[in-house]
Amino acid sequence: MSHPDPGFVSMSFDSDTQRKIVSHQRTWSPYVDNGGTVLALAGRDYAIVAADTRLSVGFSIPSRNFTKIVQLTDQAVLASAGMGADRQYLHKILRSRLEIYRYQHQKEMSLGAIAQLLSNTLYSRRFFPIYAFNVLGGIDANTGEGFVFGYDAIGSFEKVKVVCSGSGQTLVQPVLDQQLAGRQKYDVPDDQRMASLSLAEAIELTRDVFNSAAERDILTGDALELYAVTASGVRCERFELRRD
Amino acid sequence: MFLSRSEYDRGVNTFSPEGRLFQVEYALEAIKLGSTAVGIQCADGVVLAVEKRVTSPLIEPRSIEKIVEIDTHICATMSGLTADARTLVQHARTEAQNHRFNYEEPMPVESVAQAVCDLALRFGESGYGEDDGEDEDGGGGDGSGQRGRNNAPVMSRPFGVALLLAGCDERGPALYTTDPSGTYTRWLAKAIGAGGESAQVVLEERYRRDLSLAEAEAIALQVLRQVMEEKLGAKNIEMARVVPDGKSGRFELYSMERLKACIESMSMTDSPR
Amino acid sequence: MLLEQDFQGFSFDLFLRNQQLLRRWSNESKERIENVLAKPPRKTGTTIAGVLFAGGVVLGADTRATEGNVVADKNCSKIHYIASNIYCCGAGTAADTEATTQLIASQMELHRQAVDRDLVPVAAAMTRLKHYLFRYQGYISAALVLGGVDELNGPSLYTVYPHGSVDQLPYVSMGSGSLAAMAVFEARWHEALTEEEAKCLVYEAISAGIENDLGSGSNVDLCVVKNGGRAVDYLRGYAKENVRVYRKPTGHVFARGTTAVLAQELRKYVQVTRVVSDL
Repeated sequence: MSHPDPGFVSMSFDSDTQRKIVSHQRTWSPYVDNGGTVLALAGRDYAIVAADTRLSVGFSIPSRNFTKIVQLTDQAVLASAGMGADRQYLHKILRSRLEIYRYQHQKEMSLGAIAQLLSNTLYSRRFFPIYAFNVLGGIDANTGEGFVFGYDAIGSFEKVKVVCSGSGQTLVQPVLDQQLAGRQKYDVPDDQRMASLSLAEAIELTRDVFNSAAERDILTGDALELYAVTASGVRCERFELRRD
Repeated sequence: MFLSRSEYDRGVNTFSPEGRLFQVEYALEAIKLGSTAVGIQCADGVVLAVEKRVTSPLIEPRSIEKIVEIDTHICATMSGLTADARTLVQHARTEAQNHRFNYEEPMPVESVAQAVCDLALRFGESGYGEDDGEDEDGGGGDGSGQRGRNNAPVMSRPFGVALLLAGCDERGPALYTTDPSGTYTRWLAKAIGAGGESAQVVLEERYRRDLSLAEAEAIALQVLRQVMEEKLGAKNIEMARVVPDGKSGRFELYSMERLKACIESMSMTDSPR
Repeated sequence: MLLEQDFQGFSFDLFLRNQQLLRRWSNESKERIENVLAKPPRKTGTTIAGVLFAGGVVLGADTRATEGNVVADKNCSKIHYIASNIYCCGAGTAADTEATTQLIASQMELHRQAVDRDLVPVAAAMTRLKHYLFRYQGYISAALVLGGVDELNGPSLYTVYPHGSVDQLPYVSMGSGSLAAMAVFEARWHEALTEEEAKCLVYEAISAGIENDLGSGSNVDLCVVKNGGRAVDYLRGYAKENVRVYRKPTGHVFARGTTAVLAQELRKYVQVTRVVSDL
């Protein structure tokens, strides 16, 4: 139904209803969901950050090659699902904050510092949130151990070993929980649940779950970008996904 | 023709024709009237020792606080107008906490020195807090609620105090000085205040890169004893050290008992000069 | 209630209708009102299309069925049987398109028997469909591409909209991918298509929908009705170009004991004692 004709409205409805219709028209919607899935998982000496490259609006695909990932340092990579514009804005802010930090303190920001900075940046917009769902992955500069951080849109975050966000989250996260985090193992102590995968195995699993997500989630597809963070640096790989 | 010197040294924002800011130079002179403070950095920490001028037996010595904590890994001592130091110290403490809030890590010692100097330069008729664009870490997410306070006038004149900053960060132990001109310098060993110049000569003679922390303590005390007018004792000095603790450091202010023990052992190892 | 819900954007769908219903049901319980008002019509994405050629008609459809953003069926069949010489592609709510085409298929068979002819006219099916859909004022969400060949008009091609309106055109498309498909038709269609060219064109049109519309996906089905309505090529899976690209080489192995045994009870045998009642 198209917008109600004002004359028709005034004839048919009481003033309370009219007010509701008018206030309804003023509703402002600044957010768009551009879909896509992001994932981060950590191993003993590596972290993987991966995302598909599809950007969608409704049922159409404005871009098949729109990156959701930014490499922040040699030890930290960030991927964000949600709204494309907010993602680019957030990545830009973080890159500049890292640059300023580099000049001011003459060192690279550590993974933990980036995690805290990202949380503060998101919370600073508590009442007009940045519509981005972030996963941050990297390795600890001292121990070389991989870690990932999962966020909500307003800065609540958690240090974990595996996390997934975005339109394919509900499809992917349970698989990761089972395959990696050992969530189904009732009788195993908490510290022994985590499966220890090699980097190659983890890449295989990541590719597999993204292909699965592309099978069933219409907003995920086109290509997979995969960043592997190890002590020797960050390696980026790209794999095709189905395009329909 | 040129104005006389007495006219050029009125304003804090007026250079003399020779390119000097007299008020800043006078502020530097104020430090040379202050009590002497010594800092020595060695491989396993930094030690600070400072003279307390207890000018009357009726003064309660503990009420004179010359060594202050900036954060758990950084401390400072001062020479000059110690009241001015309170503003600088408060600023340094705030910046150190802001850094922890923003990055969940201890602030590097050099960054604290830089932060102190940022404030030290904010004097003059338009001595207002930094505006939004110049905030050290950008607007983003500090959430510290400091904006309002930063907009208050800071100082109409230069700060008449120098700080010795001692701390340990991921790069190891570090010792810095800051002065009223807004300059900071890193030192292996440094003395400031009334006896600063003569003390520095002794430090340059006796400093070695392989000093132990205990040796550094002894040297600091000996130097202080040489330049102090009163007899050095546990009640008219203060000492502290910062020792490395992982990627950060641990600040320890010496108790009266510990001071007495230090002075005792220093006297025993004393080489007759 | 829908009226009180926090809408985003400028959707006024059903607003006036809900106002009227609220007023009419002012005595009803709140739960009942919410139940009726809270269910918006569900639309599913699809690309369907058809073209005429000299000797017949080619219909085409993708094979994706969706529920929201989730693919519900990767290889469903959207070209429905109406009569031996008539087929119909359906877009919209799956239940509606299936029920509607089945109903009309029955009616066409009864009609064929009643008039004692080999083939029913395509126009008959079109007329029944549009009357049926019109009666339901668009609430049966079936958008259809109807094609076939009969003795009356030769090859015929129609689109029937959910509200009951009809277009008759030489090339048509429907569904969320209809724009992508129509773009191909507008670029490549011409009047003297051969059968092979027509098949190729419909395949390309559906393919464009599959690639560019998120509501459409997987394979291309084609259906050719020709030879005066006496020959049909139903080409299920004419093109299968969207296959899974990668699968983990080792598969997903579940170690023995993955499912925890929470309780265990072993019984060697169970002895049943016969109890005879006193009564």
